[in-house]
Amino acid sequence: MYRYHLTLTTEKKNIVVEARDLCFRYTTPLVLEKATFTVEEGDSICVIGPNGGGKSTLLKLLLGLLEPRSGSLKILGKNPGDAASDLGYVPQAMRFDPLFPITALDIALMGRLDRLKVGRFSKKCRKIALEALAEVDMADLAHRPFSDLSGGQRQRVMIARALACEPEILLLDEPTASIDLSVEAQFIETLKKLRGKMTIILVTHDLDIVSEIADSTLCVNHRVHRHEVPLSGETIREIYSGKRRIEHDRKTRHRQGDHTHCDHD
Amino acid sequence: MIEFFEAFRDVPLIRYAFYAGIVSSLTFGVVGSFVVTRRIGYIAAAIAHSILGGIGASFYLARTYGWESWCTPMLGAVIAALLSAAVIGWVSLMAKEREDTIIGAIWAFGMAVGLLFIHYTPGKAVNLESFIFGNILLTSKGDVIATVILGAIVLTLIALFYHKLVAVCFDEEFARLRGVSSKAYYLLLLGITAISMVLLVRLAGIILSLALIVLPAATASKFSRRLWVIMLIAVGLSIFYNVGGLVVSYQMELPTGPLIVVVGSVFYGLSFLLTRRKS
Repeated sequence: MYRYHLTLTTEKKNIVVEARDLCFRYTTPLVLEKATFTVEEGDSICVIGPNGGGKSTLLKLLLGLLEPRSGSLKILGKNPGDAASDLGYVPQAMRFDPLFPITALDIALMGRLDRLKVGRFSKKCRKIALEALAEVDMADLAHRPFSDLSGGQRQRVMIARALACEPEILLLDEPTASIDLSVEAQFIETLKKLRGKMTIILVTHDLDIVSEIADSTLCVNHRVHRHEVPLSGETIREIYSGKRRIEHDRKTRHRQGDHTHCDHD
Repeated sequence: MIEFFEAFRDVPLIRYAFYAGIVSSLTFGVVGSFVVTRRIGYIAAAIAHSILGGIGASFYLARTYGWESWCTPMLGAVIAALLSAAVIGWVSLMAKEREDTIIGAIWAFGMAVGLLFIHYTPGKAVNLESFIFGNILLTSKGDVIATVILGAIVLTLIALFYHKLVAVCFDEEFARLRGVSSKAYYLLLLGITAISMVLLVRLAGIILSLALIVLPAATASKFSRRLWVIMLIAVGLSIFYNVGGLVVSYQMELPTGPLIVVVGSVFYGLSFLLTRRKS
């Protein structure tokens, strides 16, 4: 009821993401259950929740990398796969081969791959990629090899690559999971600069980021709830220690032969 | 040295070997850089070994049905290499099978099929040694032409799709989100690798071929962190190994392939020491 009220009162803002009764499972059980939520244009949304609660799955559904089992999902009024070119995606940092011989600019240029048929990137593409690097304060290091960059710099190159897509929505998957605290402060500054320029959907465990940049949060623990910030302590406890989650974990561990959390001997 | 130049002038075989060495170096340097960067050396090795199956089949078919005029070992090798690349690619992309298991299976299956075909091939015994250990001095004019054509195909494909291939190697998922068919480009990369392995097997033999595709690029990657620079250095090293190997082995009457591999390995080892001192 509350949610509908919200969309009515913010009528002037366009809805960029609309999920209705969205369900997804890899095998059994459901990872996402009847998720219904909307995201308005220009919002900064943090997606939070316990590990295994379905945060990354939700992001992959938005990107069109996974197909919903049931329910509907519209991104910018289109089906997820068709909207991919309007999205900028920053994946988890750990995935990359640090020895890969490539420069920061080469990586940023990957955001323009959809404009490239064969051969070399156009001057315009190079200009956009350089501007994206400048946006995250990496213009000076554009020709540096990836392997010479620090963890935080690598992360900013990944954001530049997403910005080079000229996205309507920026999606980030746990961007601070593997970087240290000083780098994180810098990262929050970068995000603050982008806030309001485009819609931002950010998966994170980091409540500092939530308090710094989120307009509201999507709490994903199989079901999806919208919470306004600041989050109350009770809400946080609810999100991270939902009864459903604990029971689910026990069952899984039980199946895998770990009986430490069980009542029986 | 003078003897080599005299031989180069008088003996066509030496000239063919020389040209084949130079032309194929371009392919090895460029493709090898991709193989090292994407870490698919073990796939290249499996493809190289499976080539024996194609060679055996081509001998059998040519002699049994009198197709000697067109059913050459080179044709059999190309078909076998591309088939193996397709199977390995399909398995790693689509099926939920362990990739290393399939690579091992293709590796041994290809060789086994080759040996069986050779066993049933009529006529005089087939000398497999030149395919297993390679012999650059057995290069014919036809081989040089085939090397040029196959090399040109490989390099053109890479020049056209360079950025997409690099993007798929670096981050397959992101490339897919930008509308690049990641699976198709991965298969293209395996196909290119397969053709290069055919050229290598002709030159250095099945067993030594892997060293020749991996060593120049691996050595080059110690000195640069840019793929196109690595490619240039790898091409240079490859030419140096092939031509140097040819000259020295002719001069000192040593087998070419093993000589090239030993020199390449020593250089690779030295590159560790050099770059350590540099940093």
